[in-house]
Amino acid sequence: GLFAHLEMLECRAHRESVEREEKEQREEKLALLECRARELRLQRDELREKLERLEKGGGAGKAGMAPDPTPRDVLEWRLRSLQALLQLFHLTGISGKLSRRGVCFTLSTAFGNSHLDSFHLELLLHPQLRIHRHSIPPFIPLERISREFLPRDLRRFLSVLSQHLNGYAGRKFQLEQLQEHFSDRIKGIPRQNSLCNLLTFEYGLSGKSRNFPLRARLLYRDPCRSLPTDVEVSCASDAPAWLADTAAAHSELFRLLPLHGAFQAFPTA
Amino acid sequence: MDETVAEYIRRTVLKIPRDEIKVMLEKWGFLSEAQLQTLNFHQIKDNISQEVVQLCEENSADIKQAAVLDIIYNHIYHNKRMWSVYQMRKTGEELEYFDLTDFKKKFKRRLRSALKNVTITFKEYEDNAIWIRVAWGTPHRRPNQYKPSYVVYHSQTPYVFISASVLKSNLPLLCQALLVASNYHDIREMELRSHSLNSLKDIVFKRYSQNFPTYCPKPLQEKNVEPESVDLRIVQENRSEKERIQRLNQEIFGHGPLPTLEFAHYRLETMFKSDPKMDVLDKKEPFRCLVKFSSPHLLESLKSLAPAGMADAPLSPLLTCIPQKARNYFRIREKKGLFPESFVSP
Repeated sequence: GLFAHLEMLECRAHRESVEREEKEQREEKLALLECRARELRLQRDELREKLERLEKGGGAGKAGMAPDPTPRDVLEWRLRSLQALLQLFHLTGISGKLSRRGVCFTLSTAFGNSHLDSFHLELLLHPQLRIHRHSIPPFIPLERISREFLPRDLRRFLSVLSQHLNGYAGRKFQLEQLQEHFSDRIKGIPRQNSLCNLLTFEYGLSGKSRNFPLRARLLYRDPCRSLPTDVEVSCASDAPAWLADTAAAHSELFRLLPLHGAFQAFPTA
Repeated sequence: MDETVAEYIRRTVLKIPRDEIKVMLEKWGFLSEAQLQTLNFHQIKDNISQEVVQLCEENSADIKQAAVLDIIYNHIYHNKRMWSVYQMRKTGEELEYFDLTDFKKKFKRRLRSALKNVTITFKEYEDNAIWIRVAWGTPHRRPNQYKPSYVVYHSQTPYVFISASVLKSNLPLLCQALLVASNYHDIREMELRSHSLNSLKDIVFKRYSQNFPTYCPKPLQEKNVEPESVDLRIVQENRSEKERIQRLNQEIFGHGPLPTLEFAHYRLETMFKSDPKMDVLDKKEPFRCLVKFSSPHLLESLKSLAPAGMADAPLSPLLTCIPQKARNYFRIREKKGLFPESFVSP
């Protein structure tokens, strides 16, 4: 019925807002967890040393060691380490799950501390590894990458594809950040293409003046990188000398920093 | 200002619903703020369009500006046209940077070298869509502005969306110009058509929500919790069956909104299967028939068939494969029973 449906939608909306809150809390936790990871690594190193020492002096003191593990212990240990491995891979941005027909991979993208879109692939396993369906945008050269690496090398296929997706997501994110925080310094909307690997825009030095004397052209030759390879910042030929110097300095900044970072780093005029 | 241009602008403005005229003229940006202020948008459309034409006369509008207004109208009301999807192919593997100016130059040059009397207009939109409007003429006649073709192309993708005019003979020329401008070698028409341009884009760009099983380190929260009825005397008899149907539907159709398609065509060229003793047909040849499903929103209605009890779940893969195979025209033949594809270059 209609009301049941509306109630269900209401429940869902409520759940989603709760999830959002929880997500924010999780992000705070992340910093703490990173600290903890460092502690654990130290602990692991200590235990390793301890083990080496025991093994070296092992001939003498077998009696002091723990009894042989039972098969159940071994199974539990295997399960735990598999779960840890899966969690580890999930953190790298490439995770997988067996599906009815084959296996589904999720490629998550990120830039800096921001989690960006996720993309999915379903692969069939018989007779050969091949793509059944996916949610990869059409301007990513999926066909070319799959022809090069599948069916032999699944690992490299996923790695290269993930790099392409991360490169694209990173470039798009920088552009969005630029438009969000520095729209007053840019004339109109930057000109881009679907892959965000060629960007041109005119910009000014401060938000107050209404003129945009500098023109930037950023070319990203490497589709897997989110920093440009070729940068040209130019100004009108009759511009003062200090403007030309500024253009050169900015050009360097664009090469080294992400877009919005470069804008932030501009020395104020 | 040319009389034909004036008439064209007048007719274009007449097409626009009265409440939208002001917004569209602002988007067009050809008339100044001051000029727009002088317009009275509360009179009948006939008068509004006459006033607009007069203002355009003051600014000496030519066909180029009028064509831009036409693109703006068609961009907003794209649902009024039927769009087909074309797929391009290339053999070279160089990474392209896609220079827009280069694209436009090559396109115009190719088209004009074959046909002198064409009006070509471009407009780029924020989502990287490039709209191209082409009005066709002949060596002896000026372009017919009332039957243009529209092309929508997203850079660095192999897909082109075309709403051709009635003059189908110009289509090969249009395709060739697109191939040259975008650096591809081959183009073929996909079996995918709809009025909703955005839905076509969603399908080929894979922007609609598909259902992929994903690894989740935390247990998934419950989805689709039906509000429990408080009255314990009311029991759902078919609960498990309903849940099974829901689950299958979600697997096949996903969670989110589905692209809007209006129809699916199945052209059957299969043998008529009857009791051998009854021998209905003299000759053993395929029984040709066309099955057409139409709906204001075909995929949504397919999704609701099983929950409404009108069909068994899971639905036939012939119906559910539509978004994934990106086609809504099928030809079903006897032996293989599945979908043949042919790639033909013009």
